[in-house]
Amino acid sequence: MTTQSCNSPRYSIKEPLNLSPRIQWLRDYYFQGNNRKWNNEFTGFTTGTPWDIQYQELNFYIVPETYTFFPTFTGAFQQASFKVDLPEGFWEWSLPERQAWFVREVMVYYLPHEVLPGDLIAGGRFNVQTSRCFNKKEAAEYSKAVYGKKGARAAEFWFHNHGYGNAGATSGHLIPDYPRILREGWKSVHEELNRKLSSLSQREYDSKKGHQIKAMLVAATMARDVAFEYSKVCAQLAENEADSARKNELVKMAEMLRRVPWEPAQNFWEAIQSLWITHMLVMSDENYPGPGVSFGRADQYLYPFWKKSLDEGMDREFGKELLKCFWIHCNYAYDAMIRTGGNQGITAGFGQLITISGMGKGGVDLSNDLTYGMLEVIDELSPLLEPKPNVRLHRRSPDRLLEKVIDMIASSQGSPFLLNFDERSIAGMLREARIAGVEKLINADNVFDYAPVGCLENTMCGNDRSGTVDINLNLLKAVEHALTGGYDMIPWVDPMTGKQEPIKRWGADTGDATKFRTWEEFWNAYVAQTRHLMERVAELYDRTDRMRAKYLRTPYLSCLVRGCADKAMDINEGGAELNFITVEAVTYATTVDSLLAIRHLVFDKKECSMQELIQALKDNWKGHEVLQARALNKTPKYGRDDDQADNHGKDVMDLWTGETWKYRTSVTGKHYRPGMLSWNYWVGDGFILPASPDGRPKGQFLSNAICPCAGADINGPTANVNSVGKVLGGKDPAGNGDWDGYLNVLPNGASHTMTFSPSLLRDPEHKSKFMAFLRSYAENGGSALQVNMIDADILRDAQTNPDSYRHLLVRVTGYNAYFTSIGRELQNEIIARESHCM
Amino acid sequence: MRIEQAPVKAVEQAGIEPLPEHTIRGDKAIILHTQRLSTEDGPGIRTTVFFKGCPLNCLWCHNPESISFKPQMHWMESRCIGCGICLKTCPNGCLTRTANGIKRDREKCLSCGRCAQECPAGAQEMLGKTVGQEELLKELLKDKVYYDKSGGGITLSGGEPLMQAEFCAGLLSKLKENGIHTAVDTCGMCSTASLEKVLPFVDLILFDLKEIHPEKHLGYTGHDNRRILENLIHVRDYIRANPGKQLWIRTPLIPEATAEEETVERIGRFIHNTLENDVQRWELCAFNNLCRDKYRRLDMEWKYATTPLMSKADMGRFETIARGSGPDPDKIFVTGAARVENTNA
Repeated sequence: MTTQSCNSPRYSIKEPLNLSPRIQWLRDYYFQGNNRKWNNEFTGFTTGTPWDIQYQELNFYIVPETYTFFPTFTGAFQQASFKVDLPEGFWEWSLPERQAWFVREVMVYYLPHEVLPGDLIAGGRFNVQTSRCFNKKEAAEYSKAVYGKKGARAAEFWFHNHGYGNAGATSGHLIPDYPRILREGWKSVHEELNRKLSSLSQREYDSKKGHQIKAMLVAATMARDVAFEYSKVCAQLAENEADSARKNELVKMAEMLRRVPWEPAQNFWEAIQSLWITHMLVMSDENYPGPGVSFGRADQYLYPFWKKSLDEGMDREFGKELLKCFWIHCNYAYDAMIRTGGNQGITAGFGQLITISGMGKGGVDLSNDLTYGMLEVIDELSPLLEPKPNVRLHRRSPDRLLEKVIDMIASSQGSPFLLNFDERSIAGMLREARIAGVEKLINADNVFDYAPVGCLENTMCGNDRSGTVDINLNLLKAVEHALTGGYDMIPWVDPMTGKQEPIKRWGADTGDATKFRTWEEFWNAYVAQTRHLMERVAELYDRTDRMRAKYLRTPYLSCLVRGCADKAMDINEGGAELNFITVEAVTYATTVDSLLAIRHLVFDKKECSMQELIQALKDNWKGHEVLQARALNKTPKYGRDDDQADNHGKDVMDLWTGETWKYRTSVTGKHYRPGMLSWNYWVGDGFILPASPDGRPKGQFLSNAICPCAGADINGPTANVNSVGKVLGGKDPAGNGDWDGYLNVLPNGASHTMTFSPSLLRDPEHKSKFMAFLRSYAENGGSALQVNMIDADILRDAQTNPDSYRHLLVRVTGYNAYFTSIGRELQNEIIARESHCM
Repeated sequence: MRIEQAPVKAVEQAGIEPLPEHTIRGDKAIILHTQRLSTEDGPGIRTTVFFKGCPLNCLWCHNPESISFKPQMHWMESRCIGCGICLKTCPNGCLTRTANGIKRDREKCLSCGRCAQECPAGAQEMLGKTVGQEELLKELLKDKVYYDKSGGGITLSGGEPLMQAEFCAGLLSKLKENGIHTAVDTCGMCSTASLEKVLPFVDLILFDLKEIHPEKHLGYTGHDNRRILENLIHVRDYIRANPGKQLWIRTPLIPEATAEEETVERIGRFIHNTLENDVQRWELCAFNNLCRDKYRRLDMEWKYATTPLMSKADMGRFETIARGSGPDPDKIFVTGAARVENTNA
């Protein structure tokens, strides 16, 4: 055997294929990143007042690694913003009208309009930071509410520093009603708003309702006028174009941009163009590039246009060429902060999910030729991050689909897919409908049209904002509080001053745990602490939700969400027909395993006293290595298909999910619902939360979403999958359940990542075994699965030779990331994860 | 039947008072572990049960822990936290701390398992556990969905499962009642009576054929292969009489032993002449050295401790020979890892 030389890569990473010179150029150009002459980084715009604010930090309360940059970002945009000339009377308008006008003005007249060489889709720059258009009084109120000593920022930092998690009203994360625009054009939205406006009484017209509708009317013309600007650019380019083929394309583009997205799309090219401009402007309106603004079932609503154009003679490859241009456009979301990140400015935190395949009414499969066309596009462009493909699988998914998906998984290290499982997901959505009393909006006749947003969060399409990343709660904090009677286990120390905060009781007073005689007493304390935790997070979240409803409007997006026009309310005020806030629980398996360890060590086997255990945790297990080893190795764990342990898991699940449904936001009336995403918090918060009874020391990662703790799933992937399915509710033995026998307590769904060795897919026989594994997952598993086909050797090699693996994609937790662009700690964690050899 | 009683005897002969869980009867068995999502032991997704104890003693054995019928103790250095609890726990004082880690006096060790019970880190581990039929069945049924969707099922392997044939027959019949595909991976070294007990409940027999030459077989495994070949013919006749059952042949490719042109050629010819229409598959499995540490942990010498993996070229060569030896080439599969070769040089 030979040793490896250090500087040459040992494994081949997926390469794009079958790209035309046009697409090859556009793709290569994109990957030049910061070296590009043209880019789509944030540009700031101001009303010119000294109190003006652009950067809207509420969006980033759920991104703790950005906390320290808030003052810098806020100040930088204030200083670098371009002044927009305001019309007379601007300051007399209502706030939503000002905001609608301002964004429209910027997008139509200020932000440059450019078309890249060869590009078949217009719509270049969209990343903006626009003035919040506050008058002096509003700015003062807002500033006090956010930056003040008792403001939202301070409350958020406190919450996060103490290990509870994070919460904040966040943009994106929904599926706008794009099919309507393709079908009817913006014209129809505008007409509807006009009708609505004329139906208002004079009093309504002059008050909140009228202001909102007027703001939306302004916003409803933005896409038309932006498209018209691009039409002029295309016409200009066509005039100077020597190549007759390209000239012809530009002439066509100029012509179609005069019509779409205002008019209904007539063919596939127009549909793609209409979709892109409409989508891009959502990101402009929210000043929030990409995260979670998802497309829904694109292979379904685009199919009539695809079919019509093919029937009219469009070359299928040209249809794919249009899709490829569209795909590349989506990636320009990452330009927002391109100068702050090395590798294309990528933070891997974006997620314009695009959903393909899945079932229709009666469980029939809805895969069509466009489903396969899109799969080919993904395969030929891969690796490329956006839009993030999600394939919906179900019992009747055809072999052909699974074969293609598995071939792609085999050739691209497991990325690029999120696999969503319909039966389990639908069960969750129907449960939500029942509990929240919205069966009129989600029922057996339409539930199959659900789709995930962002990473994997299930919602309905076009009328649903479920705030799917707004609350991220560390369940483990309740275990800590149950052990201490409501105090932090270890005092918080300010990293800047080194000052230690005096310890206070933040949790519920559940008494001295060392006096508990039975497991039941401890469990009751845990229950009380979990209730208290939920109360606290709901309180915190409500602050930013109220503030967003009052100060931060998105009238353009509101035009694209059913319910807003009817109610004459902005989506941020709760205008959508379906209004939820999702609590994404983090640290689930660590919590379950910690409870199991306490029960086993202290009560069942009496291996130690409660006092000893608490001392060990305070000492971060130092000097208690034997007890730590027992906690790690000799206690039951979730993820092994051990019914007893999994039943505990189910109890934990039922408890916290049951708590969420008890809450609503005070002003916007949003109902809380449960989910498990846990993005990257399980990494960072591992350094905040103290040692846990499952044997984990402070500084080690927590468990990821619904996955068992790293390395705990010693009985292999099937056991892991079975455990996940069981804690979601499993199946009803009588065959009733929430849907077709399936139960699911998490309507949002849960992130489940599994890593397999690439040898698993080494030949057709093994690929067919993996197909059976996926079909079994649909029966026994969770709502969503992400597969990595990577072994530790490949990753270690990538650490040594990062340049050779620039395009190695891995799935982290609901999102793809370029392996070499993520932090070393997370890299090591991915390497340490047990890889499932089949 | 004589061989079947060996485990109990072995325990008794060692002078240990047999703990209840070590007693082997028809409804109890000594196994190493079950492996779920097994993809290399028959069709589809399977759970493989590894039985403990084997009548053969192959020079290259990849599962040295499966040879003895007794439970065995081993110590895993990577898991040890150095607490010394095992030293204090051992009732016979057979553990000592040395510069090279914890040493076990194998003469004195009764495999009572107390050190493993007390070891907080799972570094001391007992290989071999007694399971009841019902308990094992319940475990195996947990993955029924995966078997159903993949055309998979359960494989009994080892060690030699047919050394515990009564247990196997009972378990297999229960599995059949549950509609599960069953396979037995056997070295063929067992009584014909044992074979007859299980065959009615087996859908697929994975039969190891390591060497045709009786002398060589004796040299490699400690036994000549007459009984094995007789049993193979018996299995052939049984499946001829009971259509629907399948037979796969497995041959290990071992350097300096079976990985010889003549051996492969001869096995191929034998399959072709004697079993051609009865065998659905002939698998040639390349030598693998991942078990090196297992030998070390069991204080066993291993002839192959420093032997490298086969090269891709070697594997290809044997594949060519096998394909030319008579059997239908579509039935021939060569599996296993080849060594990493520097392609950048």
